[in-house]
Amino acid sequence: MRLSLPRGRLSSCGGVSGPRREERFRKEAKQPKRVVKVVNQESAAQLTDNPVIVAKGLRKRYGDLEAVRGIDFEIRKGECFGFLGPNGAGKSSTIRMLSCLSPVSDGQLEVLGMPAGVAERRIKERLGIVSQEDNVDPDLTLMENLLVYARYFRMASGEARQRAGELLRFMQLEHRQDAAVRELSGGMRRRLVIARSLMHAPEILVLDEPTTGLDPQARLLVWGALQALKRQGTTIVLTSHYMEEAERLADRLVVVDHGTVLERGSPRELVLRIVGREAVEIWPEDAADSERIAEAARPAVRLSDRHGDALVLFSDEPGRIGEELVRKQAVPARMMVRPANLEDVFLTLTGRDLRE
Amino acid sequence: MKQGSRFWRSAAAVWWRNFLAWRKFWRSSILLNFGEPLTNLLALGLGLGAYVTVMQGVSFLQFIAPGLLAVTSMNAVTFDSGFEGYDRLNSNGVYQSMMTSPLTVPEIVAGEYLWEATRSLLYGAVFFVVVLAFGLVHSAWIALLPIPLLLFGVVFAAPALYVAARAKTHEQLFYYFSLVITPMFMFSGVFFPVQHLPWFVADIIYVLPLYHGVELTRELALGQISLASLWNFLWIVGYAAALMYLPVRALERRLTA
Ligand SMILES: Nc1ncnc2c1ncn2[C@@H]1O[C@H](COP(=O)(O)OP(=O)(O)OP(=O)(O)O)[C@@H](O)[C@H]1O
Ligand SMILES: [Mg+2]
Repeated sequence: MRLSLPRGRLSSCGGVSGPRREERFRKEAKQPKRVVKVVNQESAAQLTDNPVIVAKGLRKRYGDLEAVRGIDFEIRKGECFGFLGPNGAGKSSTIRMLSCLSPVSDGQLEVLGMPAGVAERRIKERLGIVSQEDNVDPDLTLMENLLVYARYFRMASGEARQRAGELLRFMQLEHRQDAAVRELSGGMRRRLVIARSLMHAPEILVLDEPTTGLDPQARLLVWGALQALKRQGTTIVLTSHYMEEAERLADRLVVVDHGTVLERGSPRELVLRIVGREAVEIWPEDAADSERIAEAARPAVRLSDRHGDALVLFSDEPGRIGEELVRKQAVPARMMVRPANLEDVFLTLTGRDLRE
Repeated sequence: MKQGSRFWRSAAAVWWRNFLAWRKFWRSSILLNFGEPLTNLLALGLGLGAYVTVMQGVSFLQFIAPGLLAVTSMNAVTFDSGFEGYDRLNSNGVYQSMMTSPLTVPEIVAGEYLWEATRSLLYGAVFFVVVLAFGLVHSAWIALLPIPLLLFGVVFAAPALYVAARAKTHEQLFYYFSLVITPMFMFSGVFFPVQHLPWFVADIIYVLPLYHGVELTRELALGQISLASLWNFLWIVGYAAALMYLPVRALERRLTA
């Protein structure tokens, strides 16, 4: 099934050019409501149980190093599936295998019903790939980058030109379409890679850290674009180091570390299951104070952790933590209650040690 | 049949990418590839030519001009495949982005050959105009020149692309230029007949492709066609066929880790 683009739906700055347009884009991007307007009511997400990517005991070895050590996952048609994990966890290695950019060392991997590694060309024809490194052509203009890429897919030139125009608008790059890529900022380059990956209307979009290095405005733009694509039925696979991104976009995700899956589920489910509903953050006076507070709250706490100099206590009923602290006269000078989030899950699962 | 047309359409897309990139810098590119052989032609042809008046029955200028034409093509191809090829692989991700599309490595390499053949023809033609202007072409056989020039696109691109794929740094590319290309240029009969060299040098030169390219180009320009010309031509064809596949494995290793 070929999907056409949400024509002009994201290009809310028509008619304004140059820096003014950029300025308006920034203003608008600050208001997430505008992005929400992109919703296309007619085409609701076609979330079904149909797996489009199935991996069983998937492994990747580079010489002596085993980067992926037997992982299983199923990605369903129309969903957004996330891979989270610290640096070197094996996310890119996994995603490169399912994009047919890197051979599978061991295990089974099927993409769109075809075995990866055998049907590489037929799989790549239906996949949009955004690699971790920007690889847009610096010698060409933005428009030329898209048109050349369309040729690699043997698209007709009229169709390619029209689609390139739409996609440059979609990524709000149309005012720079004839600029040389080497003059672009990093964020624009990233948006161009995303636009390019959509040229052939892929059924599955695979993005390796799509928003790393983007400013908050551009990140909102990309999120809006990905959500719009998902609503039209595009399956999205992404890796990210931004927990907020995964929380907003991913229907389901896996947390990987050292090449194995630590946990899997929807963001909400993972938060409730692994850390609990709420987090109480406390800034104690000193180590002794910290010790005293932690001890006092213990009966009501599911899990505790330290983030910098803050003590974080997780619970499904934060009120009970307050009660314990009052009862034992251990109320801290500074504290805050907030909903627990995916970042808490991530740090709990993977620890606080730096990788690599 | 269908397989074949897909292959060449893919290769043509790679050609087109290179053409668009080249179009941005074509003036400086022509100037760069043109300055050196022109300097050689004028300085040696006119300067040295005042002392060496006759070489194998023709003027010294006439003797070196066709060989320099072949060298111009060789350099145009070698520089692009070597340096630009290295960048396409290592710094700007051009090949990596091609790999995210249905293109395969053999198609990419075929596209590079089409492009290098084009360059060889183009830069050779520019130099040809100068040679013509100096009144150094005396035979209609020169009309066949495009055939060896197109073949140079494969003969010299294949090893340069291979070196680019194997090189770990930019510096390593210079080894290829200073240890292979430059000596080949100096000894392959551009400036003097090879038979006067010590036999062990001459024997090496006889099996290298540039020698046959220089000889064939000269034979076409001067109309000295013989069975030897066919022999030179077959050497070039043989080289193209033998080297064609060389960079494919090396690039595959780099692009599919
Ligand atoms: N081509 C390669 N050759 C050798 N080792 C590699 C190669 N690619 C990755 N590795 C190694 O495999 C391991 C996993 O790397 P990978 O790039 O998959 O991690 P990642 O989860 O994507 O990390 P990051 O978040 O930093 O991008 C690392 O130890 C890395 O050094
Ligand atoms: Mg990575």
